[in-house]
Amino acid sequence: MNSIQRRLSLGLCAACGLLWSIGGLALYWAVRAGLLAEFDSALRANAQALATMTSQKNGRVEFDYDSELLPTFGNIRRPDYFQLWSPDGSTLQRSPSLRGHDLARRVGTADSPNVWNLTLPDGLPGRAIAMSFVPQVDDEGPPSSIRFAGKVTLTMTRHRTELDHRLTLLATALLVVGAVMAAATALVVTVAVGRGLRPLSQLGERAVTIDASSLQLRFPVAGMPTELQPIATRLNDLLARLEESFARERRFSADVAHELRTPIAELRTLTEVALKWPEDPGMAQDALQDALAVALQMESIATGLLALARCDSGLLPVYVEPVSLGPLIREICQTLAGEASANQTTLAVVVSDDDCWLTDPVLLRAILTNLLSNAFQHCTAGGSIHLLVQPGQLSIANAAEDLSRDDLPHLFQRFWRKDPARSSSVHSGLGLALAKAYAGVLGMELRAELADSKEITFVLSGAKVYSPTSVATH
Amino acid sequence: MRILLVEDSKRLRSSLGRGLRKAGFAVDVTGDGRDGLWSADSNDYDVMVLDLMLPGMDGLSVLRGLRANGNATHVLILTAKDAVEDRVRGLQAGADDYLVKPFAFDELLARVQALCRRSYQRKNPAIAVGDLQVDIATRTVTCRGKIIGLTPREFMLLEYLILRRGEVVSRSDIETHIYDDSVELMSNVVDSAICVLRKKLTPPGAAPLIHTRRGLGYVLENEPK
Repeated sequence: MNSIQRRLSLGLCAACGLLWSIGGLALYWAVRAGLLAEFDSALRANAQALATMTSQKNGRVEFDYDSELLPTFGNIRRPDYFQLWSPDGSTLQRSPSLRGHDLARRVGTADSPNVWNLTLPDGLPGRAIAMSFVPQVDDEGPPSSIRFAGKVTLTMTRHRTELDHRLTLLATALLVVGAVMAAATALVVTVAVGRGLRPLSQLGERAVTIDASSLQLRFPVAGMPTELQPIATRLNDLLARLEESFARERRFSADVAHELRTPIAELRTLTEVALKWPEDPGMAQDALQDALAVALQMESIATGLLALARCDSGLLPVYVEPVSLGPLIREICQTLAGEASANQTTLAVVVSDDDCWLTDPVLLRAILTNLLSNAFQHCTAGGSIHLLVQPGQLSIANAAEDLSRDDLPHLFQRFWRKDPARSSSVHSGLGLALAKAYAGVLGMELRAELADSKEITFVLSGAKVYSPTSVATH
Repeated sequence: MRILLVEDSKRLRSSLGRGLRKAGFAVDVTGDGRDGLWSADSNDYDVMVLDLMLPGMDGLSVLRGLRANGNATHVLILTAKDAVEDRVRGLQAGADDYLVKPFAFDELLARVQALCRRSYQRKNPAIAVGDLQVDIATRTVTCRGKIIGLTPREFMLLEYLILRRGEVVSRSDIETHIYDDSVELMSNVVDSAICVLRKKLTPPGAAPLIHTRRGLGYVLENEPK
């Protein structure tokens, strides 16, 4: 399982185990070395004591052994052993405990004796010390008259059972303490890591409770560890964006449902009423005509929504070419002449024949048609609309007494209408949203400004001006 | 029965008005909230069918204005708003019924008829007066087992009289409840309609059910007092 808690716990336990092991071993070796040094020191002191009992007189080595003084070399349980060799290699003295056995004879000096482990004659492990030394001279007279016998060699051993027992006890104690410490470390590490990672678990548990229906929930940043605060903040930002996006989608779906509900109700009532009284041919004829109008309105909504979806997904093809604005605007005005005369509005256009943009003519036509149609629809009856073309910019202004500045942010929203009543079946409420989306696709900006004189101006800016000479030079 | 239909969709207004008239109601229509409130306060309607999103004045404001003026006309809200809170808000504002678009015309018709009956404290759509059997729901009239054919307006007149049976119903009441604004009323239109209806409903040799109270109006009852 790829879990941070598990990996951290295992890593920490392994590291602690390794450190405990190294520490335990170091302690064992230090204590062992100390005990051995102490043992060897005692061994050496005993060997030196034996050495002081060795003397030479007239070239002969003598060993003054007194079993009462040295009871440990007697016939007791786990005795000490020694063997003394004369300079010629013959055994000078054995401890009674040896009972005729020989010890190994090794070379060593009084200052630097040879120390080693061995198996004692009784079969138990022991430790031996060997040293060669010159016995003290008991001769009297001038030094020149003295005959030296040469160096004698002494090997002395002692049982190390007690030492080994102590070392075993030490090792056992260290192992037991190590095992207890390892278990305690594992427990402490697991608990500490678990507690340390609890905020992460809480973050996860909180995340599990958040779904599409509870996007208003947020991760608590205050009280969270410093390392997790940026994550929680980012997650909260993400949730806020998701919430807004979901709310927009829900609003949009609700709007679509609501927009379609009225034409569907119209269609259903039209046909049901016509079918209920089939003997009335006039009613059937009217119903068919109305049904066609409803179908066209629904088609307009569907087309608008599809176009918006294409804009959103970036699938709308754009074919850029020089577009002369004068003829295009005149053509659009002709098609909208019916709307203009219905509202008794006048349109004043300021455009020069030289005004030419490098853009997609189809999308630009759609933008201008929507803007002008919107102006005709909402202009105060009998009022006038002003269309002005400036370099790279086009503006359409008309009086709009009903609008307030609070309405400006909603103007380009899909299906937004100042009057919530859907009494107009001509406009789907998508025109300005589409115009804005198309402007975005063309790399232009469409914005609305409301003057104090209650005149709304739609400004289309950021267009690339086409000039034949500039294109030729480039 | 006279109905006021306040609906902003022109097509829905037209087809609903047509259908309701065909079903035997006198229907006045308007597409504006303010006009709707004015009409409801100026005339005595049996039922008002009210859209919520209206130009001029929204449906809930119309409803509240109506109730504030002491107008007890039964109101059926007909709207595309389908959320529970919208229904609750509509009913709490004083509506008697709530129907969400799109709807079945027959359901609207049945609900409007039910509200009309409620206006006259009648729960059973089948009413008998003497030998006459009238079913308001199926809009059928039988006399001694024989079906009597009536035009929608004749049925409307009979329905109004039968719902107020025993009461003297004035000419102006009949004009108000049976004829909508689309009909140009002649001075004797009610008298001649009553005369035709009386003939159709009275079997040969039997006593008429509709009686004239000179100077007051008409009364429908089994035995003249």
